[in-house]
Amino acid sequence: MKIIENNEKTKIHLKINGKEYETEVEPRRLLVHVLRDLGFTGVHIGCDTSNCGACTVILNGKSVKSCTILAVEADNSEILTIEGLAKDDKLHPIQEAFWEKHGLQCGYCTPGMIMEAYWLLNQNPSPSEEEIREGISGNLCRCTGYQNIVEAIKLASQKMRISAFQP
Amino acid sequence: MYPPKIGYVIPDSIEEATEFLEKHDDAKVLAGGHSIIPMLKLRIIRPSYLVEIRRLNNLHNISKSEEEISIGAITTHYEVFKSNIPLLSETASKIGDPQVRNMGTIGGSISQLDPSADYPATLMAMDAKVKIKGTKGERTELFKDFAKDMFTPDLNQGEIVTEIIVPNYSDYKYSYQKLERKAGDFAIVGVAVLLKVDGEIIKDARIGLTGVNNVAVRAVDAENMLKDNKITDELLEKVSNEVVKYANPVEDIRGSVEYKKKATKVMTKRALLEALKR
Repeated sequence: MKIIENNEKTKIHLKINGKEYETEVEPRRLLVHVLRDLGFTGVHIGCDTSNCGACTVILNGKSVKSCTILAVEADNSEILTIEGLAKDDKLHPIQEAFWEKHGLQCGYCTPGMIMEAYWLLNQNPSPSEEEIREGISGNLCRCTGYQNIVEAIKLASQKMRISAFQP
Repeated sequence: MYPPKIGYVIPDSIEEATEFLEKHDDAKVLAGGHSIIPMLKLRIIRPSYLVEIRRLNNLHNISKSEEEISIGAITTHYEVFKSNIPLLSETASKIGDPQVRNMGTIGGSISQLDPSADYPATLMAMDAKVKIKGTKGERTELFKDFAKDMFTPDLNQGEIVTEIIVPNYSDYKYSYQKLERKAGDFAIVGVAVLLKVDGEIIKDARIGLTGVNNVAVRAVDAENMLKDNKITDELLEKVSNEVVKYANPVEDIRGSVEYKKKATKVMTKRALLEALKR
């Protein structure tokens, strides 16, 4: 059994976007703050009350709100953030689709939206419009009214299916 | 918002967790964290320690037999949703939003026992049992006894929910209908329905209600009205009126008393009709 006292720090290991990181945290430290401190500032703090989804990252394969997870809880986890999506200067198909359909306005919710879309399309490569809307129900956007975001995720699903069939 | 300063305990077994919890009366269990971490941030609670149980793998499994299904306490809502358990999986799919369902756990949710949470209507309708472990041993309670009052589960100091056991209603039709104010919200009212149907005749009916009482209830009189009858518009009206008698809501940001009662009637009808379509 490991006990970390409230004024004590503990070492945690995280694998973020394929690279290993080690950092020291107090038990009360939230994952979102640790990720931002490590330079992953695409992870946004929006509402900070587990509602808006701007802090969404993929933790061990599942989308989560990193403002509602303690960093110690995530010890030895694998994390994917928006910074890990583009490969060799080429945007991920979801990023391309958000670009092409202009699935954003101010851009604040965009990283969280894209990470949630990533999880959604992983689960369900061909979601219906209704499934897309349900899928992003944990992500708030206060600018666009969602229409372009939904269009972007539809386009992303086509792009990803096409690229999956390429030899 | 930072949570307050807090100690953190990572036990290697349930026994270590229960022993620690018994010795530290203001320590709290951390499962998925989606109730407790927001409460910490808002300073609603200030426990001395959080005891992490989410990595105790023997609390993390689902086993099914023809008679019943046992669900480990740290099974997430997403995993419950994916397990094709009649009624319970549908209920899990309507909790919060995808990210919340990926972290939140069934044991955590019922230990928090929010009066507007989704599971209680369903667990009440299903006659679920709750397995609880403490330093003095293990006990099993019916969910209806476990749910003592709002936010008040039947848990003594040092006790942890380890399993939720539900009968297998594989030959029943079912539906969970929830009215929410905005996507991902708690229920204004949630109605869980199980129906055993022979031809057009209802042989057995179970109706659970959440959001409109301190704890979820089963609308027994309404269930009895359905038994050995065929559903007609007239019976539907009568039964849903009877269900409303089980609703004692309070006025809050989700609506007035009158609105919640009307919503209960509408959601009951919807749940019965949806169940019949299955």
